[in-house]
Amino acid sequence: MSNALALVRSRRWSIRRLQNWELTTGFFVVGLLLVASLLAPYLAPYPPNQVNVLVALQGPSWHHWMGTDFVGRDVWSRVLFGLRIDVLIVALITYLGLVVGVIIGTVSGYVGGWFDAIVGRVADTVVAFPFIVLVLAVVAIVGPGLKGVAIGIVIVGWALYARLARAEMLSLREQPFIMSTRALGYSHLRTIFRHALPNLVRTSLVYSTVDVVVNMLVLAGMSYLGLGQQAPGADLGSIIASGQGYLLSAWWITTLPGAVLVLFGFGVSLIGDGITRGDLAQGRL
Amino acid sequence: MTAGPTLEVEGLSKSFALRRGWTDAVARRKRPAHAAVDDVSFQLAPGEILGLAGGSGSGKTTLARMIIRLVEPDAGRITFDGVDVRSLSGRALRETRRRMQMVFQDPYSSLNPRMSVGAAILEAGRVHHQSGSEHPEQFVARFLDFVRLPAATARRRPEELSGGQRQRVAIARALAVGPDVVIADEAVSALDVSIQTQLLNLFLDLRDELGLSIIFVAHQLSVIAEVADRVAIMHLGRVVEVGPTAEVFRAPRDEYTRSLLAAHPHPAPLRASSKLREETS
Amino acid sequence: MTDPLLNVEELSIAFRQRRGELTVVRDVSFDVGVGEVVGLVGESGSGKSVSCRSILRLMPAHGVMRARAIEFLGRDVTKLSDRELRDHRRHNVGMVFQDPYSCLNPTQRVGEQVAEALRVNAGMSKIDARARTIELFESVGIDRGAERQRSYPHELSGGMRQRVMIAIAISAGPKLLIGDEPTTALDVTTQAQILALMSRLRDDTGMAVLLVSHDFGVVAQVCDRVVVMYGGRVMESGPVTQVCTEPQHPYTRALLESIPRLEAAGRRVRREGIPGQPPNPADVGEGCPFADRCAHASARCSSVDMSLRPVGPSHVTACPFVGEWSDPPGATESSRVGGPS
Repeated sequence: MSNALALVRSRRWSIRRLQNWELTTGFFVVGLLLVASLLAPYLAPYPPNQVNVLVALQGPSWHHWMGTDFVGRDVWSRVLFGLRIDVLIVALITYLGLVVGVIIGTVSGYVGGWFDAIVGRVADTVVAFPFIVLVLAVVAIVGPGLKGVAIGIVIVGWALYARLARAEMLSLREQPFIMSTRALGYSHLRTIFRHALPNLVRTSLVYSTVDVVVNMLVLAGMSYLGLGQQAPGADLGSIIASGQGYLLSAWWITTLPGAVLVLFGFGVSLIGDGITRGDLAQGRL
Repeated sequence: MTAGPTLEVEGLSKSFALRRGWTDAVARRKRPAHAAVDDVSFQLAPGEILGLAGGSGSGKTTLARMIIRLVEPDAGRITFDGVDVRSLSGRALRETRRRMQMVFQDPYSSLNPRMSVGAAILEAGRVHHQSGSEHPEQFVARFLDFVRLPAATARRRPEELSGGQRQRVAIARALAVGPDVVIADEAVSALDVSIQTQLLNLFLDLRDELGLSIIFVAHQLSVIAEVADRVAIMHLGRVVEVGPTAEVFRAPRDEYTRSLLAAHPHPAPLRASSKLREETS
Repeated sequence: MTDPLLNVEELSIAFRQRRGELTVVRDVSFDVGVGEVVGLVGESGSGKSVSCRSILRLMPAHGVMRARAIEFLGRDVTKLSDRELRDHRRHNVGMVFQDPYSCLNPTQRVGEQVAEALRVNAGMSKIDARARTIELFESVGIDRGAERQRSYPHELSGGMRQRVMIAIAISAGPKLLIGDEPTTALDVTTQAQILALMSRLRDDTGMAVLLVSHDFGVVAQVCDRVVVMYGGRVMESGPVTQVCTEPQHPYTRALLESIPRLEAAGRRVRREGIPGQPPNPADVGEGCPFADRCAHASARCSSVDMSLRPVGPSHVTACPFVGEWSDPPGATESSRVGGPS
């Protein structure tokens, strides 16, 4: 009966891709935020750091969609620029970690032996430490600022991808189509990068959607603690931090940027769900 | 019939050590090694089809993999075209590997699911710089034609093909690197009877048309009876009987061969109570 | 003919899809008599496996079955309430699958698994169940039962595991044992033993057996009657001797002729086989599903009525043109070309 079932699945496939509402909604939300942040210089109604004490602490209005902060800076403009910084850095560090981790993990799983043993131990050790504590330690060494946080996240981030990729490679290595590449006399590099890697990168990509959100929060959290973006530049974390003294009187300074952060996380998670559920896996990712 | 090279295997052995736990290391115990293949010798003449039969655990698959050095033998010699295969490395090893190809059992997982049929065949040819591979379409079409698939199959992906069609693609890919010897490891076992017959005929055609030598590994004796010129019966890692297929099947000398032949299910109707005797192993 | 035990009438099975349904079994009818061994033969996609599961109303997700009736000892299985269905599954029918390893719990001793079946299905006490387990092991040919029941599944060979599965399946004394490719994963020698075991159990207990297999050889060895399926339909059904020696459907005949045989050893002839591919359920419609691969097909086959017509005592075929293509069997082997001598 397996044939009939497989057929049922393959027939449904093309339809399902369109009906994958998670993926559609996710891409829509994230796409909107991405476009908004990339076009920040054109969309922002005010320069992000323009102080105007005359309009300080005004609530949301037609002039200031998200109100103004304690020195009269337009929160909406600051959010657009802040998002821009966050998105760029988060994308960079998450996917740098992914690329490094996947390559190390795949090679390690394929080669085996002492190399694999060392990679496995190192990755396990890194993963075993609490994430934030490790990042804090790196920041302590490199010094505060986005650079320190970014380096910290990459140093910790690769390990999870390496473990994922290694585990996948170990089972893939036993698959006849990987074995047959050896029988066909293909080189190791070809086997790893052309045949194995495209078949195992999906798990890591799915996981990266969780990771993007986590990294976004870590980045915002670090800025909130004052270890990330330094004044007067702003990312979402530092904007939120700057408003915490006015939480009761001027809720918009913290809440609205926070909502943008949540919306971004929501969108990315939807994409992750969509990839997991949809059969994008079947070939084209 | 073109006279190709001869493959000769002498005293090939391989054992797999059971995993040694730390208690064994402390006690300086050696775990008993399990002999998967034990002192096996045979010859494969040019254009010959040799059947390799045996039950599960008989070592036939390990033997097949050792010949193309997917598994490293512990002892023994493999001579191909007058060259000691085990002493080769680098370019020479790759060249020998090219000349000996393997077709695996499971047509559902022996092809990369992300590659189109055409890309897979072309890649095999290009890696080994086969002549004609600079013209992708003709090259792919030629090998698809060898396995009786229409040229349009090139654009399909494995998931769109039936088991029999996938196995043809796997054969076409193996042929694209230009082998002299093909090792078919249970290559028809997973297929329906009607498709099995088509593929058996395909192997016979390829032997006739290309002068291939074929090692045909199968657990079904009847499948081997249909294609093999000679047969080697394996049991517990050893070759217990070898000879021309007709001779071995009509007058088996070894006890194990006899029991295999006796147990073979036959479509000629025989009521169970009269024919089968129950034994507990 | 023996008394009827199971009577499946006009069974159809479809898988629900987003757009309509995909029918995989169409109007299948067959029956099993008390104490009879019946084989259900077909290639992959023939619908033999889902058909046999319908007897227990075991349908995959999205599966829908319709039948005029599935009568088991006079009661219609399709109309049973949930409670009655559970009783039916427990007491009337035992089932054995292809892969005994995935059907056994790897963390539990096999004896406990049999005893559990006895306690649940036959309502035995723990002590009785333990004693009965050893008896059952003996009856399925597991010697040293007291010792073997303490084994875990991975410590047993494939044949032994399948014997354990059979012990579980017959624990409640079912009237029908269904084997869904029970020997496909086993070596030939073990296969012969399991088949012999199944026919001995039939002889000893009078239990009927429905053996689902892709292998005509297996069915021919143990069955009284055989039902041949293709593309979700019954093509032919009759006494196994009749069907094997004088097949009354072009498909049965082509299938029998394409089976590799030991006698072929050393013969310089080539088996013709069946051209083409087995049909996709989505492409099967009215008419004969075998028409596009059949050597005797003509235009009328695409709209032919597939109801079964008698051609002998309890022998029926779906092909109405039987009389027209009866050339002597075995004439289709062509000469094999070339090859070294």
